[in-house]
Amino acid sequence: MLTVRKSLVAIGALLAGATLALAGARAEDVPGVTKDEIRIGSFGSLTGPTYLYGKLTMNGVDAVFAKVNEQGGINGRKLVLVREDDRCDPATAIAAVKKLVFEEKVFMIIGGGCSNATLGARPEIVKDQIPFLVFASVADGISDPVAPNIYTTMTTSSIESRSQVQYAIDKGAKKIAVVSQHDAWGQSRYEPLMAELKKRNITPVVDLEMTVDDNDATTQALKITSAGADAIIMELYAKPGAVLIRALNKLGQNPMLIAQTGIADPVAFTKEVAIPGATDKFVTPSAVRYAPSDPEVKEWVERIKKMFPNDELSVFNLMGIGSAQVLVAALKAAGPDLTREKLLQAFAHIKVDTDTYAGTIICNDPVSHQCNQSPAWMKAAGEKAEVVGVTKLN
Amino acid sequence: MMMFGYLLASGITTGALYALVALGITVVYKATRSVNFAHGDLFMIGGFIAYTFHVMWGLPYVVALLLAVAAGFAIGAVVERLAFRPLRDQGLVSLLLAAIGLSFILKGTARAVWGGKGDFIPFPPIATPSPISVGGILVVPQQLIVLAGAIAVMAIFAGLFKFTKLGRMMQATADNAKAAKLVGIPVNRVYVYTMAIGTAIAGSAAVLMAPITLLYPDIGFVLFIKSFAAAVLGGLTSIPGAVAGGFLIGLIEAMSGGYISTQVQDVSSYIVIMLVLVFMPQGLFGGRALRRV
Repeated sequence: MLTVRKSLVAIGALLAGATLALAGARAEDVPGVTKDEIRIGSFGSLTGPTYLYGKLTMNGVDAVFAKVNEQGGINGRKLVLVREDDRCDPATAIAAVKKLVFEEKVFMIIGGGCSNATLGARPEIVKDQIPFLVFASVADGISDPVAPNIYTTMTTSSIESRSQVQYAIDKGAKKIAVVSQHDAWGQSRYEPLMAELKKRNITPVVDLEMTVDDNDATTQALKITSAGADAIIMELYAKPGAVLIRALNKLGQNPMLIAQTGIADPVAFTKEVAIPGATDKFVTPSAVRYAPSDPEVKEWVERIKKMFPNDELSVFNLMGIGSAQVLVAALKAAGPDLTREKLLQAFAHIKVDTDTYAGTIICNDPVSHQCNQSPAWMKAAGEKAEVVGVTKLN
Repeated sequence: MMMFGYLLASGITTGALYALVALGITVVYKATRSVNFAHGDLFMIGGFIAYTFHVMWGLPYVVALLLAVAAGFAIGAVVERLAFRPLRDQGLVSLLLAAIGLSFILKGTARAVWGGKGDFIPFPPIATPSPISVGGILVVPQQLIVLAGAIAVMAIFAGLFKFTKLGRMMQATADNAKAAKLVGIPVNRVYVYTMAIGTAIAGSAAVLMAPITLLYPDIGFVLFIKSFAAAVLGGLTSIPGAVAGGFLIGLIEAMSGGYISTQVQDVSSYIVIMLVLVFMPQGLFGGRALRRV
């Protein structure tokens, strides 16, 4: 008996040892994961005029990681962000993803600033099967059709378009005019917008085009005026948007103006239009419900200021914070034996509130991986942007 | 009818601005037989200079306009002396390349000096927005001011060109530079004045246009293409043709946008260039240059 018991103890000890060894080996086998840290990659624009989409959003992610690390990390593992610059260029974005996956051997990627760059990198990300959480790019094509390893916490262009229609209806608009750019960026908003209007049996009173080079929109303003539009849905960049509003003002018109994130900052845009009162009825959607000046995000803003004293504060910081908080929630849900599959399972049906997003982040695998369907509406109030409502599509 | 009136007023106003830029292109072309592809960028610099005087320094709009015209005159003279004169005998290709190089330099300068304030810079409106009725047609006061300013500049230029010694020297040099030199006209000095006056007119157009649009370093190219279409429509060597071409392009743009589609509005000037080059290469007012003896 003693021999048998000894033998059982020995076998048990062997099995336990083997299990521990296997567990250890598994952690070592998962790229970017050790017992002490999780290496997480990020790509986006770090330099040039589009740096705010990448660098500032990453600053927000780093702020969340720093706070998590101060509290002991996730299951004892510290979060480490590895940044790569895609310079807003698709080819560079592909190279950045390859470097993160094969050289840096990161566990997953949170990133994507400029939509065209992220769209360019999508096939590589799909091929490499690395979990990817989009934090700033808005193009639908990045997350639709659904790829098993790609999720987004950004309000996408089609969500923005659908929300514009909902906002106009909620505010009592009866005659809706549409003014849009018909370039690739504009089309990605125009098509879902027209589909949404059709779905609701709404025919716009006028459907007009502008280009980014237009210096005058008198004709468009005249048509809007004679159609008696009480709301204008603008699928325009800031420059043509400002040209249109100045032309409307010239004719004494002041209708409801519903933009999208091509004009992300209502305060800056009001200054750019530079005509008092002309943007009083201007609203633009935002993935986050606060501006950096709001007291609700004071703690985060101070943390970012301390960590990155030379960088300006922006709503893109807040987008990074929200996205990183979703990632942290998924990493916790994935448990201590972290694998990419477990992280993706955690993303699949995550439901989490963050400190910055306007609504609850809900992923609905396999129907949709576009998890933020609640844009906030911002308008300028003096030197501050204020939230005037939230549209919830899910 | 109201729509037509608005479109007419809008087309004439925009056309007057195209006419001013086309005037500069034509004056320089007549003198040098070379299209100055940097003309739109000289226009843009004029606008930014006015922005500096009016918005940044707070000077009255009219004072800013006069100073921008003076600055345009000086810049045009310097550009002719430094960029074009050394290449005058090197052939057209060298002059074209110099113009393209100058265009990049001017855009870069604008970005360096006035950049960093966003994608574009707004210029405050110069009149209240309420439209007024002029002869049964509703006109926006701002458009009226711009139109009056453009006509005044054209009248001043016409007077200078027709009734002054400098104007007659410019005409003689444009007609035959060698003959003008032989009769003692200081041709090089005339080239400097021609370029300076062309740039000053572009500057005035920029200052008049700024309150109804926005300023940004790339604005010159778009304006240049449309005004070049106007100059081509007018015959490229005809000053009245450039003015008429400008008004026509403005009206075609407004009417096509108003009655066909806003999608057509932006390309209508390019369609005009193409049609004129194919069917009327001499333009509306062009023709064989007369040689006076």
